[in-house]
Amino acid sequence: MPSTAQHPASEGPPGSQPATPPEADTATPWATATADPSASAAEAAAKVDLETSPETSRLQDLSTVAPALAGGTALLRAPVDPATWRAVAQASIGFPWLLVTGILSTVLAALGIGLLPVFGLGALVLLVVLPAARGFARVERGRLLAQLGVLITPGPARTRPRLTSWRGLVAATTDRVAWGAVAYAAVAMLLVALEVVVAWSLGAVLALLLSPVLSWDDGPSVSQVALVAAGVVGPWVWAVATQALAVVHVRLARALLGLSRVSVEVRLAEAEAEQAREVAARAEQRADHLATTRTRAVGAADDDRRRIERDLHDGAQQRLVALGVELGTAKRAAATDPDAAAAALDHAHREIKETLSELRDLVRGIHPAVLTDRGLDAALSAIAARHPVPVTVEVPDPAALSAASPGAQAAAYFVTAEALTNSARHSGATRVHVVAGIGLGASGAVLRLEVVDDGRGGATASPGGGLDGLRSRVEALDGTFRLDSPAGRGTRIMVEVPCAS
Amino acid sequence: MRIVITEDSVLLLDGLTRLLVAEGHTVTGYRSADELVAAFAHLGPHELPDVLVTDVRMPPTHTDEGLRAAVHLRSLHPGLPVLVLSQYVEQRYATELFAGDVRALGYVLKDRVADVDDFLDALGRVSGGGTVIDPEVVSQLLARTRGTGVDRLTAREREVLGLMAEGRSNGAIAEMLVVGTAAVEKHVTSILTKLDLAPDADDHRRVLAVLRWLEHAPTRGDGS
Repeated sequence: MPSTAQHPASEGPPGSQPATPPEADTATPWATATADPSASAAEAAAKVDLETSPETSRLQDLSTVAPALAGGTALLRAPVDPATWRAVAQASIGFPWLLVTGILSTVLAALGIGLLPVFGLGALVLLVVLPAARGFARVERGRLLAQLGVLITPGPARTRPRLTSWRGLVAATTDRVAWGAVAYAAVAMLLVALEVVVAWSLGAVLALLLSPVLSWDDGPSVSQVALVAAGVVGPWVWAVATQALAVVHVRLARALLGLSRVSVEVRLAEAEAEQAREVAARAEQRADHLATTRTRAVGAADDDRRRIERDLHDGAQQRLVALGVELGTAKRAAATDPDAAAAALDHAHREIKETLSELRDLVRGIHPAVLTDRGLDAALSAIAARHPVPVTVEVPDPAALSAASPGAQAAAYFVTAEALTNSARHSGATRVHVVAGIGLGASGAVLRLEVVDDGRGGATASPGGGLDGLRSRVEALDGTFRLDSPAGRGTRIMVEVPCAS
Repeated sequence: MRIVITEDSVLLLDGLTRLLVAEGHTVTGYRSADELVAAFAHLGPHELPDVLVTDVRMPPTHTDEGLRAAVHLRSLHPGLPVLVLSQYVEQRYATELFAGDVRALGYVLKDRVADVDDFLDALGRVSGGGTVIDPEVVSQLLARTRGTGVDRLTAREREVLGLMAEGRSNGAIAEMLVVGTAAVEKHVTSILTKLDLAPDADDHRRVLAVLRWLEHAPTRGDGS
């Protein structure tokens, strides 16, 4: 036997195979919730952030932006904490940036509002300013992500305004997200000024340490000692204040540049609903599949029963009736015509032997005893031995094969039997090769079967035929059935059946 | 007798032919209902067989072509004696077959041919114009009569009713039950009275009446 790589059964139950959860491939159901083609990577990432509720994002802000506020070692090393220095950098860059944008947006927005009474001229200004404010918000969120490592979920994407209608115009000029950005620019401009003052005050604090030395005449005065003490404690005060201001900044950004709390919850709910819809759709698909395969399996079982009834009716039953006639004739002739009686008995004897052999074949066709007793490997060898054309059976791991579920083994057996019958009847094949083994399918262990002949091909699984019945049987077990039979190039039947037993 | 047999199983056709030939009959065998009907198309009124024996289920559809052929030939040749052999006794088949005249008509389970004497007897009765209905059919019919006038019959009367339905004459019933003809006549009168059937000396009409009654089995108080 060739030893192809197979999974021995001893490796553990097939159910323990790491299966990819079906949700994995569709893990971002809300990816389509906001279809803003210009959304930046940060915003795309922010959508995923929706998984966390507003409460958790607040806590995260504290631990990333202002760890010192939680006390402990973070407080002790506050002056040298990277968070502090990130806040300093943020304030340093944010100050000029927010000063310019804050003044611009405040002035322009005020101009827009101021000009509204003037024939609605202000509306035109607002139509330019508000989209720009959205752009500013995007850049600002990116800046906060880059500098403070804070992810802020953007508000709803802008829908292309329809300025031809009054309603569209109103919607465009009352864009909540954009006005939020304008408000942020105005407030953040003042806040960042405070931040930068605090951030840069470290120099002044350190200067306090030196201040007494400059005028140290005859022993330190009380106020001088106090100044030095303030210089020593100063860096901690500075660091905590810097971090705290950064948190305030982040909170402000969350409030004005991010989704409102209600919107976050709405989005979460929407995402959940979308997920639920997908689950429902998958369940429905599965139900459809089950209904179809079940109907076909029942149909195939009915076909089987009809075939068995027909076989019994045309075979054993007729033979037994004929046998009865022979024996009746013999009985009648026994006294008068012993020769005729003997001939009739002879007939009857032959008949009974043929009936028995026919019944044996029929019973084997219903379910072979060897399959139950000795497993698929033995059963396959048995049909191969009875087949008129040479059949090679390749089973790399008989033990693993016998461990497969009885349903899977039976399906594999009947596929082989039908494939061989078809091959003998229609293909004119001179050789048939059968391979059966256990492999790893998409969702756990599968029994793989392949029957290949060198006949003339062109086989089809026509409805109601033997192959179609087997296909139904295999599909009802959640397996796959492939028939590859190009004209003139042999027939290959490949079957995979899940075989967790 | 000239006997025509239609049977798709070669073995059985063979066995029956040998049996009947040994009994001194002339036998012609056909293996499908189509062959049978085609062969009858060329027969003149005086060339008809004395009895036609046919299987129910035959090629090409393996459903009931034998039965349909029998009904068809009986409509072409009224009074043609026909004995239908069936692997399964179905009351529905019997109802279709006996819808018209019951004279010279038989419907028996195929297994009965193994009882050669009974089979030859049935063949003789049908060719002689009698009616033969398989006890299995009768018991199926009787089984449906719970809650009808049959409940009023005594056990012996029910037995007699069954034999009447099988197409037996008073004489045959007396012989089978080992009683006198007078006793049988008394039972028959009692049965007919209890079932509200008109007494009729004619066996065929009596069989028909009993069959109809059993088929429709009026429930007590039904009034019909």
